[in-house]
Amino acid sequence: MRFLVSLLFTGFLTLSAGAAQAGAKSDDILDHHVLPGLRALAETTTALEAATRADCTADSAALRSAYGTAFDAWIAVSHLRFGPAETQARGFSLAFWPDTRGLTPKILRSLIAGEDPVVETAGEFATVSIAGRGFYALELLLYDPGIASLGDAAYRCALTRAIAGDIAATAADLSRDWQSNYAALMRAPGVGGPYQNDAEVLQEFFKALTTGLEINADLRLGRPMGQVGKPRPLRAEARRSGRSLHHVVVSLTALRDLAARLSVGEADLAARLDHGFDTALNRAAKLDDPVFAGVATPQGRLRIEVLQQAIAAIRTEASQSLGPALGVAAGFNSLDGD
Amino acid sequence: MTSRRGFLVGMLATGLAPAATWAEAGAPDYLSAGQGADGTHALYGLTGDGAIRFRQPIPGRGHAAAAHPHRAHAVGFARRPGTFAFVLDCVTGRTVAEFSAPQGRHFYGHGVFSRDGSLLYTPENDYDAARGVIGVWDVAAGYRRLGEFASHGVGPHDIRLMPDGATLVIANGGIETHPDSGRAKLNIPVMQPNLVYLGLEGALRELVELPPALHMNSIRHLDLRGDGLVGFAMQWQGGQGALPPVLGTHHRGAAPRLLGAGSADQMNGYGGSVAFSGDGSLLAVSSPRGGRVQTFDVETGALAQSLAMEDVCGLGAAPGGFLLSSGTGRLARLDPAGETPVTRAPVRWDNHLVRLSGA
Repeated sequence: MRFLVSLLFTGFLTLSAGAAQAGAKSDDILDHHVLPGLRALAETTTALEAATRADCTADSAALRSAYGTAFDAWIAVSHLRFGPAETQARGFSLAFWPDTRGLTPKILRSLIAGEDPVVETAGEFATVSIAGRGFYALELLLYDPGIASLGDAAYRCALTRAIAGDIAATAADLSRDWQSNYAALMRAPGVGGPYQNDAEVLQEFFKALTTGLEINADLRLGRPMGQVGKPRPLRAEARRSGRSLHHVVVSLTALRDLAARLSVGEADLAARLDHGFDTALNRAAKLDDPVFAGVATPQGRLRIEVLQQAIAAIRTEASQSLGPALGVAAGFNSLDGD
Repeated sequence: MTSRRGFLVGMLATGLAPAATWAEAGAPDYLSAGQGADGTHALYGLTGDGAIRFRQPIPGRGHAAAAHPHRAHAVGFARRPGTFAFVLDCVTGRTVAEFSAPQGRHFYGHGVFSRDGSLLYTPENDYDAARGVIGVWDVAAGYRRLGEFASHGVGPHDIRLMPDGATLVIANGGIETHPDSGRAKLNIPVMQPNLVYLGLEGALRELVELPPALHMNSIRHLDLRGDGLVGFAMQWQGGQGALPPVLGTHHRGAAPRLLGAGSADQMNGYGGSVAFSGDGSLLAVSSPRGGRVQTFDVETGALAQSLAMEDVCGLGAAPGGFLLSSGTGRLARLDPAGETPVTRAPVRWDNHLVRLSGA
């Protein structure tokens, strides 16, 4: 009897410890993954705007460097597409990609051709279609030979500054919303808030991890790979600035950090996930194909496919082991509907 | 020399062989795809009291099915981005024909027959052009492809034949996908779902859109009432802040009406299936993500019932109410008096219960 009581008691302690640990996990993710990433985004986009003020010419080394740093900061938090990123479509206005219908160049060409005065004030520019805003629009202005030389140079300069200013303002809003509002909602889940309990908070971060992996495997790699015999190298993300593979590396590095924090207390699982990221990042490092031009040849495509498989393997591990360990309900229809 | 088996298969495929009709005994009341305890997928024939009449293995996850109007045949489809379809004899549960989406197209898991049963219409993705098409198939010729026409939208999902027998209603979900990117959604910020009515050869009769603020509410699933009232279920792709309704109704020529604005947060922005009750007075919508079924009085638009049920999705009309199915293997009856459990099977019931015509 005493044995049974002590067993029950131990069980109770384990549960309580689990609950405390779960709350600690969310705090750790917010304090060391989310908030620093958002702060970096706000700072680097402010610097990007300043760089366009100092020199708005497309081939300015200082501007391109500031652009790369800010874009990296975005990619490193781009898997956090819920909550503040969904409010006022901030995520999409920073990053309209993929652009399957070529809307971004169409809008930029039309703004430049008409010298649209919408660039004159930030409030006006915020009304431009999200396809004409954000990092991918700015990439065309800085790196696309056709658009970077289109129309009047002074107008292109004003447009460059307007896009950078809009990026900085959106990033500042996003960061502020996280720091002063949403982080607190995730730390204190409950009735009336977006999360009922800490398990739901962890579920949100878990979804961010698996969706982030999916975007790397299916979009960043899958779109340029195309079908066998039908490669689509021009679909590589940010290929004009040579950042396609780099984005996969930046994103995987951020997702590796999130996965490690989500799997604290599960040593075997944490090790397997980390090994998965290690494999994928090693393959990415050896690829030596910055814009996935290799998809055009069978050998090149195979090497990219091997990277894609490494990312898919992490995703499988996360779904099959990390999800259940976090108590994520895996409903047949609720998790994977249609 | 033609083998006897080959000859028979050919006969069955072309529909020349005598086939059972719905009126003949033995046909189930509903079809549902599902995943068995061993992880394999199948299409099941179910009676209203939960008995499994047949189980036909299928090569991947299924979705919905289309019932032939007279003959006891139903077509099961792969779910997107699958390309297989198969025709079942619903009395024996045997496959009598198989066909595939043509090159460059995939099915969305739904389809509908013409009133005389001679043609089958299937929503498909012309993915390289990012446009929806409706494929047309000749049933008597063994489901030979006759052609296709535009669905007038992106991502056509559910399709029904209007009571006039001369108009198709299609839910263009608005979401662009491409098999190169699996099931990843490619156009959420600019998606534009609609509900369209097309003639049987593709002529556009009416196109209905929701207000611009709801452009991320993907119109996905449909049910019809005898008077032509269309019920539609939606899946919200925007933020989790203020969740819009997941259910609406539409009468040709009128403005769409959304139901459940006051109770939408319970549905988590995700309508899984939609069905009118047997007498047409109620309209139900399920939400596996909200773990809930809501029913509404069609005339007043008032919420009638709200039932919690884990991973519920399939909905079918039943005498006096609805049959519900869930990913946990449950079947239950819902009528104005409340919920009555029917069975629990070791099968994860997939998204839809398809009520068979003769039942």
